[in-house]
Amino acid sequence: MLKRRDFLKALGLGGVGTGLGFMLGESIKTPATNLIPYVVPPEDIVPGVANWYSSLCTQCNAGCGIIVRVLEGRAKKIEGNPHHPVNQGRLCAMGQAGLQALYNPDRIKTPLIRKGSRQSEEFRAITWEEALSVLAENLMKLKIASNTEKLFLLSSVIRGHMGHLFETFMQNFGSPNYIQYDLFQHKELIFANKVSMGINILPYYDIGNTNLLLSFGADFLNTWLSPVNHSLGYGHMRQGRHGSRGRLVQIEPRLSLSGANADEWIPVRPGTEGILALGLAYTIIEEGYYKGQDINEWNKILSPYKPEMISELTNTDNERIRTLAREFASARPGLAIAGENAASYTDGVNHIIAVNILNHLADNIGKTGGVISNPEAPIKKTQSLKDIDALLRNARAGEVETLITYNTNPVFTLPHNSKIQEALENIPFVVSLSCFMDETTAHADLILPTHTSLEDWGDDITEPATGYNTATIMQPAVSPLYDSRNAGDILLSTAKRLGNRLQKNMPWDNFRDFFIESWKTIYEKQRHTYAGEPVFEDFWNKVLTQGGWWDQEKRTHQSIHFIKDNVKRFISSSPSLFQGNEDEFPFYLILYAHSGYYDGRHANLPWLQEMPDPMTSVVWGTWIEINPQTAGKMGIREGDLLLVESPYGKLHVPAYLYPGIRPDTVSIPIGQGHKTYGRYAGNRGSNPLDLLPGISRHETGTIPLNSTRVKITKSSEKGNLVKMEGITKEFDRQIVQTIPPYERRQN
Amino acid sequence: MRKFFLFSFIWVATFISGYWINTSWFSDKQPAQPIAFSHRIHAGENGIPCLYCHIYAERSTAAGVPGVQKCIGCHQIIKRDAPEISKVADYWERKKPIPWIKVHNLPDFVYFSHKRHIRAGIDCNSCHGNVAGMDVITRVSSLKMGWCIDCHMSHNVKNGRDCWTCHK
Repeated sequence: MLKRRDFLKALGLGGVGTGLGFMLGESIKTPATNLIPYVVPPEDIVPGVANWYSSLCTQCNAGCGIIVRVLEGRAKKIEGNPHHPVNQGRLCAMGQAGLQALYNPDRIKTPLIRKGSRQSEEFRAITWEEALSVLAENLMKLKIASNTEKLFLLSSVIRGHMGHLFETFMQNFGSPNYIQYDLFQHKELIFANKVSMGINILPYYDIGNTNLLLSFGADFLNTWLSPVNHSLGYGHMRQGRHGSRGRLVQIEPRLSLSGANADEWIPVRPGTEGILALGLAYTIIEEGYYKGQDINEWNKILSPYKPEMISELTNTDNERIRTLAREFASARPGLAIAGENAASYTDGVNHIIAVNILNHLADNIGKTGGVISNPEAPIKKTQSLKDIDALLRNARAGEVETLITYNTNPVFTLPHNSKIQEALENIPFVVSLSCFMDETTAHADLILPTHTSLEDWGDDITEPATGYNTATIMQPAVSPLYDSRNAGDILLSTAKRLGNRLQKNMPWDNFRDFFIESWKTIYEKQRHTYAGEPVFEDFWNKVLTQGGWWDQEKRTHQSIHFIKDNVKRFISSSPSLFQGNEDEFPFYLILYAHSGYYDGRHANLPWLQEMPDPMTSVVWGTWIEINPQTAGKMGIREGDLLLVESPYGKLHVPAYLYPGIRPDTVSIPIGQGHKTYGRYAGNRGSNPLDLLPGISRHETGTIPLNSTRVKITKSSEKGNLVKMEGITKEFDRQIVQTIPPYERRQN
Repeated sequence: MRKFFLFSFIWVATFISGYWINTSWFSDKQPAQPIAFSHRIHAGENGIPCLYCHIYAERSTAAGVPGVQKCIGCHQIIKRDAPEISKVADYWERKKPIPWIKVHNLPDFVYFSHKRHIRAGIDCNSCHGNVAGMDVITRVSSLKMGWCIDCHMSHNVKNGRDCWTCHK
């Protein structure tokens, strides 16, 4: 009946049917996953239950305490340590992104040694044994040739015991050249406070309890000193006290994030912030708010700053200066702070001292809600006697044989004009202790990978502390992901190889031993402050659990005294000087720390690249802020690529029309424009630091960020500006309700 | 025409039987494990409590699979010569974990906690079936959302129908 041919067809069809049916069954299954148990389950790990480790945030220098959520040995989330005096459980975006430093795919995974020339940037992986013997051999050569002072050690600002170890190593090696360098080191602020108040450590600016805060170019809610603590204080000042709401007046040419939160913004002419402060001080004297004996003397010193006389120079209405002075003097307490933007002129110290004078005359120093003194640090402060300028000068003169860098990136954070690259070329042997291949590390001959802060031991003495001593501990939350080492361990094993005095004076097996021994000293010295822990082990366990040691009971009550005789020579009636003449370079240039990249160190963390800038909402790039009026006159539209030229350099940046900036000023954030800093940061945006001259403040060895003038020309190209916001115009949508000043005055 | 119906019938019948072959002999409800471990012997005959091996069930979201150390702890003495147990010894000597195949697998977007269910007094068997009688561990519940919700409803679980209870 059935033909042979049909039978075969049916057979084939049946085979295909079975196959397809089988495949269907297979396709709707979830693919098999393995369930891998431990071979020997660790006692302190319960899968699915998090362990939280207290540690230290190293993303900026504020020294916040963090707690790290660790699941089965992997760090999953970072939060603020609720017991820590600085951040009280809060954490900023930079701190949150600490995880991406740990898991960054561009980390250096093994020791590397240079293959070929410095230009080629080719490296070969070697073992730690080889790497350490290369380093020890090089240092031994210096020792034999009695050239020990030709060894330079350059690190980031370290306030904890790692700095002591570096110092000990250099001392015993016989070199005085240990230098700490960061772009935002607040050297001007420290210097000015030392001159005017005789204090070596930063005081606590008590924003939380003040009634009127005058901020001279301090972006204190975003990047300045200790933003998380300031934000807490700011919240308290505004809403935390029943029945009184503190006011904030922001005095700066470019509206920062803090300025956007202010009640009033005074767009002072760049370089005259200090003069405006002295104008306020004059009014306080003239109108009799100051009650000191030396009122006549002050009157004489401040006589050139009569508001009517400085009104034009500062571009601020003299009546406004007078009313502001009255408000400030009667705020009791008021507080004036001078931030990075006011300090970033060649005579930045003068601006800060002027603000300190204002605080003194309004009687805010040593008062709650004013400037509060901090006690001496519980450990010796690492004395970095020299600055980066000394390294550059010595390198150019051929006085540097070997340079060890740790965790700092001067090739990026110094302008091209400082000749840092040439200086490094002049150093025969450069060793970099770093987690990432940054611009400085790319110049090194030997690269030793260090742990990230989530894998490492360390500590930090908070500065500025919050009125009492705070030491925060960094402990490994996870085991090292790669073949990296602690920087202290590297130096200790080098000391062992070098033998003699170094080995004798640095007998510790590893950094942890040295570290615990150092903490024993804190324990012994501070013993009277705690009764609960009779032996060091108890104390140590408590420190590791709570994340550090702080003594809230022991606030200093020592008052800070203003030293009038010191400040006189820092009072000058002329505004700051600018590089570039006004006709050729019509715009003031302001460079500021980006809220995500800070000084550029976080440009390799994609979360922070992705985070819109709070004022402009720009992501993944650099932009130049220009006033819409100016832009209109020059025919510039948003996103146009502009050529920005200073007497020292030029770069191309897309324009962003920003109403919060003076028409005669332009502004660029720092942080992008990396050449080698991994896949996320490399070749993205441009580095505005290259518009600046080299180091011009030789007494502090810093670069003034805002002392250069620029000109801008529109180029025909369109820039690549990516931003989150749609349209900035209000169109009567009542998103932000405002009233004009004259209406306010009428009410 | 008759031929067309015949061919269609053959095709459909073989398709269904293909599917049936897959689900009954190649089912992921009962995957082949690297070691033929028998829950019937351990939990049934020897009466070892579940929590003796799955030690985290009361404390964590995950019940936990015993480490190789736990297996070898007993099997250093008991039945060392059995061929399947020598496999365990082999893993132990190489200090390698045993790559079990997951039988009860929830997708990542479902939050499930053993701790909560154990503390609410739910018996292990009510989801995992009569494990003490299984030679090869077999999934008896669908583990689909409807199945979860049904149980939450019948037990009057607080917020038992809230999306965020499981999807968070």
